[in-house]
Amino acid sequence: MIARRLLLAAIGILFFTAGLAATADAQQSSRVYDPSSKQWIVFDPDKVERDATARGGTPERFKRKLVPFRTSEPPGTIIIDTDRKYLFYVLPNFQAIRYGVGVGKEGFGWSGEVHVGRKAEWPSWTPTPDMIERDPDLREYINGMPGGVENPLGARALYLYKGNRDSLYRIHGTNEPWSIGLNVSSGCIRMNNEDVEDLYSRAPVGTKVIVLKQGAALFQPS
Amino acid sequence: MRAFRCTVAASVAVTASLLLAAPTRAADVVIGVANWPSATATAHLIKSIIETDLGQTVELSEGTLPDLFAAADRGEVDVLPEVWLPNYRSAVRTYVDKNKTVTLVPRGVPARQGLCTTRQAADEYGLTSIDDLKSPETAKLLDTDEDGMGEMWIGAEGWNSTNIERIRAKSYGYDQTMTLIQSDEPVAMAGLDVAASLGEPYVLYCYEPHHMFALHDLVMLEEPPYNPTKWVVRTPEDDPDWLNQSEASTAWAVSFIHPAYRAGLENDQPDLVRLLSNMDLEADTISEMTYALIVERKDPERFASEWIEGNADRVDRWLSE
Repeated sequence: MIARRLLLAAIGILFFTAGLAATADAQQSSRVYDPSSKQWIVFDPDKVERDATARGGTPERFKRKLVPFRTSEPPGTIIIDTDRKYLFYVLPNFQAIRYGVGVGKEGFGWSGEVHVGRKAEWPSWTPTPDMIERDPDLREYINGMPGGVENPLGARALYLYKGNRDSLYRIHGTNEPWSIGLNVSSGCIRMNNEDVEDLYSRAPVGTKVIVLKQGAALFQPS
Repeated sequence: MRAFRCTVAASVAVTASLLLAAPTRAADVVIGVANWPSATATAHLIKSIIETDLGQTVELSEGTLPDLFAAADRGEVDVLPEVWLPNYRSAVRTYVDKNKTVTLVPRGVPARQGLCTTRQAADEYGLTSIDDLKSPETAKLLDTDEDGMGEMWIGAEGWNSTNIERIRAKSYGYDQTMTLIQSDEPVAMAGLDVAASLGEPYVLYCYEPHHMFALHDLVMLEEPPYNPTKWVVRTPEDDPDWLNQSEASTAWAVSFIHPAYRAGLENDQPDLVRLLSNMDLEADTISEMTYALIVERKDPERFASEWIEGNADRVDRWLSE
């Protein structure tokens, strides 16, 4: 079900990109095909941009960016602000790379310090029993869904550990770049595949991760 | 002069340790290091002076200050480099005044504490007074999780100041508009770093000496000056209903950081007691040390010995007066 949904979304994005590529012609006719409503609609450049942001791409403010960042944390630290939907990777000389992230609908109910305990490329994904209960179609993946473009964990995953225990929270990729900056789907911290690949290449196992959740009742992951 | 004293002190220490070998102790002196950055800086400085000039071995023992007070009471910790007053008045009453197991050095370093925001938030949003925290506009401005309440950090779990900040929030009334966050200091500092980088407002409990003032341009929120008649602070140890029974609706009193030591130390280590009594650090010096250790990540041992080299006359005075 998830795979099908992702596939449909991917196809939608493909169609939509094709639609954008054809906008020069479309402007003549002022009509484009909208894959979500499956109808030809009147072309409005502003609306196309809005829709592209909403469905096809990451909003500008969540794009990867080098920013000034004064901190006492050592270079190489990851700081995640789950409320404002940003992840900072601390660099020397008071700078950081800022990435936009999506946060699971349930969010992070905690804040504190963890570390990257394990990393994986094109990770496999196994739905938890309550995910299967919510969506019985996921039973197909009860023994794990192999890594790949349809896998919800995307291109890379960094597994967050508290001490030597897996906290069950992950930083992972997504094939749905429009979801960056939103609270959607379940679990974890999502990043665009190209962003998570970039972060993955920088952050070794052992990287310190500080999770901020300004508004939550604070407790540590067990 | 200093080298001579080191040699003498070292030989005395060796003799003493041969005669009175204390098997439970890993070191001659145990310094209790409380869980805030400046305590780490002052502890390392004292450790380095003891090792270099008094020729003794030193162990650092980390913990919350109430735990360290209790350890000093049991004779397991010798030195508490930073007892903040008025914050730890209650512990001082118990261990210094009543049990007489801990001695507080009369000389203290002037310090200050209160609530801070970034200068940008003060200039851009007019967030300058503690009363602003009660306004719905400020609550909205500081609301990062869209629950209608603003968020602010009031300190770490286990700090006495954190309980006092809860009392202040209740007394001023901004506990109705703001969610009071308690978390470890590094998490709060990272939150401040993020807010400053994004140019967004942030409000936090702040205290000086601390490296946060060198890292960020912070301003203290204005509030009525300290008034002892409006400052009735009960602690959870005094009274289970401490929050309701307390009132603190003015600024903090001018605060002081005093060293303290296990009472028996006067007989065991008179040189060390002289050092603790004579140390006259200023807030700026402690802030600089904290910045070097925490922000510049200098090695504490090395930083302390370099500081002692650069301030040899001053350290000599502490040891000899």
